[in-house]
Amino acid sequence: MEKTAKQSPIKKMMSVRGMGQVVTVTCGLIVLCVVFGILNPTFFSSRNVGNLLRQIVPILIIGIGQSYVLITGNIDLSIGSVIGMSCMISATLMTKGVNPWVAVLITMVCCLVIGVINGELVARCKLPPFIATLGTMTIARGIAQISNNNYNTNFIGAEAKGFQKFFYAGKVFQAGDFTLYSGVLIAIVLWLFFNFLLSKTRTGRHIYAIGSNIDAAKLSGVNVIATTTKAYIVSAFCACVVGLITCATTGTGTMDAGNAYEMYAVAASVIGGVSTLGGQGILLGTVIGASIWQVLQNGLQFAGAQVAIRNIVIGVIVVVSVLMDVIVRTGKPRKKKLDSPAAATKA
Amino acid sequence: MQQTIVELRHISKSFPGVKALDDVSFELKSGEVMALLGENGAGKSTLMKILSGVYTRDEGEMLIFGEAVSDMDPKKAQALGVAIIHQELNMCQHLSVAENIFLGREITHGGRLATKEMNAAAKAALDRLNIDIDPNTIVGDLAVSKQQMVEIAKAISTDAKVLIMDEPTSALTSKEIDDLFVIIRKLKSEGCGIVYISHRLEELQHIIDRVTIMRDGKYITSGDFKDFTMSEIISNMVGREIKEKFPRVEATLGDTILEVKNLNAGRMVRNVSFNVRAGEIVGIAGLMGAGRTETTRALFGIDAKDSGEVLLDGKAIHIRCPEDAIKAGIVLAPEDRKKDGLCTKLSIRDNIALPNLDILCNPLGVVDKKKEAVMTAKAIEDLRIKLPTAEVDAGSLSGGNQQKVVVAKWLARNSRLVIFDEPTRGIDVAAKVEIYNLMNELKQQGIGVLFVSSEMPEVMGIADRIIVMCDGRITGEVDAQQTTQNEILEYATQFEAKVGVTQS
Repeated sequence: MEKTAKQSPIKKMMSVRGMGQVVTVTCGLIVLCVVFGILNPTFFSSRNVGNLLRQIVPILIIGIGQSYVLITGNIDLSIGSVIGMSCMISATLMTKGVNPWVAVLITMVCCLVIGVINGELVARCKLPPFIATLGTMTIARGIAQISNNNYNTNFIGAEAKGFQKFFYAGKVFQAGDFTLYSGVLIAIVLWLFFNFLLSKTRTGRHIYAIGSNIDAAKLSGVNVIATTTKAYIVSAFCACVVGLITCATTGTGTMDAGNAYEMYAVAASVIGGVSTLGGQGILLGTVIGASIWQVLQNGLQFAGAQVAIRNIVIGVIVVVSVLMDVIVRTGKPRKKKLDSPAAATKA
Repeated sequence: MQQTIVELRHISKSFPGVKALDDVSFELKSGEVMALLGENGAGKSTLMKILSGVYTRDEGEMLIFGEAVSDMDPKKAQALGVAIIHQELNMCQHLSVAENIFLGREITHGGRLATKEMNAAAKAALDRLNIDIDPNTIVGDLAVSKQQMVEIAKAISTDAKVLIMDEPTSALTSKEIDDLFVIIRKLKSEGCGIVYISHRLEELQHIIDRVTIMRDGKYITSGDFKDFTMSEIISNMVGREIKEKFPRVEATLGDTILEVKNLNAGRMVRNVSFNVRAGEIVGIAGLMGAGRTETTRALFGIDAKDSGEVLLDGKAIHIRCPEDAIKAGIVLAPEDRKKDGLCTKLSIRDNIALPNLDILCNPLGVVDKKKEAVMTAKAIEDLRIKLPTAEVDAGSLSGGNQQKVVVAKWLARNSRLVIFDEPTRGIDVAAKVEIYNLMNELKQQGIGVLFVSSEMPEVMGIADRIIVMCDGRITGEVDAQQTTQNEILEYATQFEAKVGVTQS
């Protein structure tokens, strides 16, 4: 016990499970930034850094939600559609003259219901998560479309200025060309809260336990249904917030907002070291994963790459980063075998 | 004064299609070790899962510390002081030792986990058992035997007064078993009641006070252990007399089937050379971690070989992957049947057909259903596998029958060498004898048999020649019928530092 007290802060930080992977991808992120900076120095301009941070926000927030679900050993495919739902419901209500904050509240309730349904279907009804959330994904998209009778909404109106400021346009801090937008602040607050919940509370511990060995968790008295549902609710909540941010960004509701975002969320989580098999990963990794995702988008754009090339490059990087992780993990036992001289010469 | 702390009266429990428990009664007193005995499928684990709240009973009464308990669930059982250590290890591999010990009853301060406090308490529980494990270690990094110790620490840290151990020693070495027995005696002296389920009858005498015997879901008898003889216990369990625990058959020794020369594979397989001849069973003995399983894995092509030669019927063969080994005629019935041996979610038929699809498919790759059915039926009949139909999931069979399926899938093709890695682990006496007979049949057919086992009496009783390994090397070779346990143990503990001393 005394030993842990005397550990240096770095050592203590590195003793956090999953930190190794995070450090690796952080190095990757730094390399990417340097490369993009060299290709086009504007990449590091204060204006772009401010914008880049703002662009990372949606991916990071849904990445947090997806990480929660992935750590329980499940997956949430409904994230993108819940974004669309959140965007459309809030925008429709606001164009109909509902007070923006009341609209936010109603939207939030609707989205959380999807989270509860996901959790119940997966944990209580034992549906495969892929199927269950595929169903709610389609349903939620349908709700998004029907909210304003199959049309995107008009401008949400001047009364919603405060709403737009809170979720997107607000400037928290300015220094020269650099602006810290309110969205970034929201992401930071959410991250701090959910990181605490995952790493320092009983619920968080149970989320890891379920993903690691659901039977052991059950036999130890963990309420698997409630805990799994909580993870899905977190995911739906995060998607809802991103939907509200999307709405605040354009000032209108778009029916296909958030399309395919559930997969971006998986990518951000997985690049950051969250295991799709459950039980492993930390939210710090998700921050890095989301950053890598958006830095690639932004950086490639600055480097003059066309959209098609961007897609290909990003796809390759997702696969390679996870592949590297797999090699590092499964490569470990092989390294041990190098103890024998015969193996060393062969290798 | 001993008091009755658990009383189960007329418990019945049915699963779809089977009556797992039929009017079973059971009693446990404080300060005693009660052995719950019976063959696989006798209902011991089911009964204990009812006591610990994993299953709910259909009928019957349950009294714990004299109080009737109606609804039981794992949490309630914990609160009442009932703890169970399951046969299959139930740990979260990604979590630390302390996190596993406190899983489901984490200490929190204002919603925040009290990590330090829990680590200290976990350390205390481990210290109490003289187990030297850092509570921060990730459980997945621990050896199976250490994980077992952690499970016990977990049970004890809940202040359990009723401790159920389901096959606690199946993964332990003899030294660790001794440690465990010390712990059990200590708990006993503190007034805990312990239910001990084990197939290893030879262990019982060291530790138990009373026995309850079950068979086919029914209560058979109970009483003081000293009033029973071992053969009475066995015949009560099996329902008939078992003539020979280790049946041995004679066969004429033929040509060398397998020759392994200077095999190296990592640290656990170093310069291993041996041969197997037709008409003999070669046993590989050794302590846990001696490199026996690793040797079979390297031979079968699962792990990469660093160097060495393998000759089958005098011809050098190159095995790079299990597929090569199977094609050449070497097959392996692995140690962990659930993990490596069976696709538990597939039917028996699918399992038996899986490694034989090359024989069963026509040139277009379509499975010949008729051939498949014939092969499956023959295998089931040959091995006397007890099952309703070949379509049931492999996972639903008892341990002994699962093991037979693992063997059956290999015997359906004409192999030259069959490797059995711990084939009798966790299966009952009668099923063990059937597995031995199977090996004997192979021996008589002139098929090479390599038999890895941690249980010395069975290697000595079944094998003809025994190779002893220690620390990844072969340290001795003995004739099974002339050797003693002490001699084998001596070879099995020749660790590298000692080699110079013993040889000089």
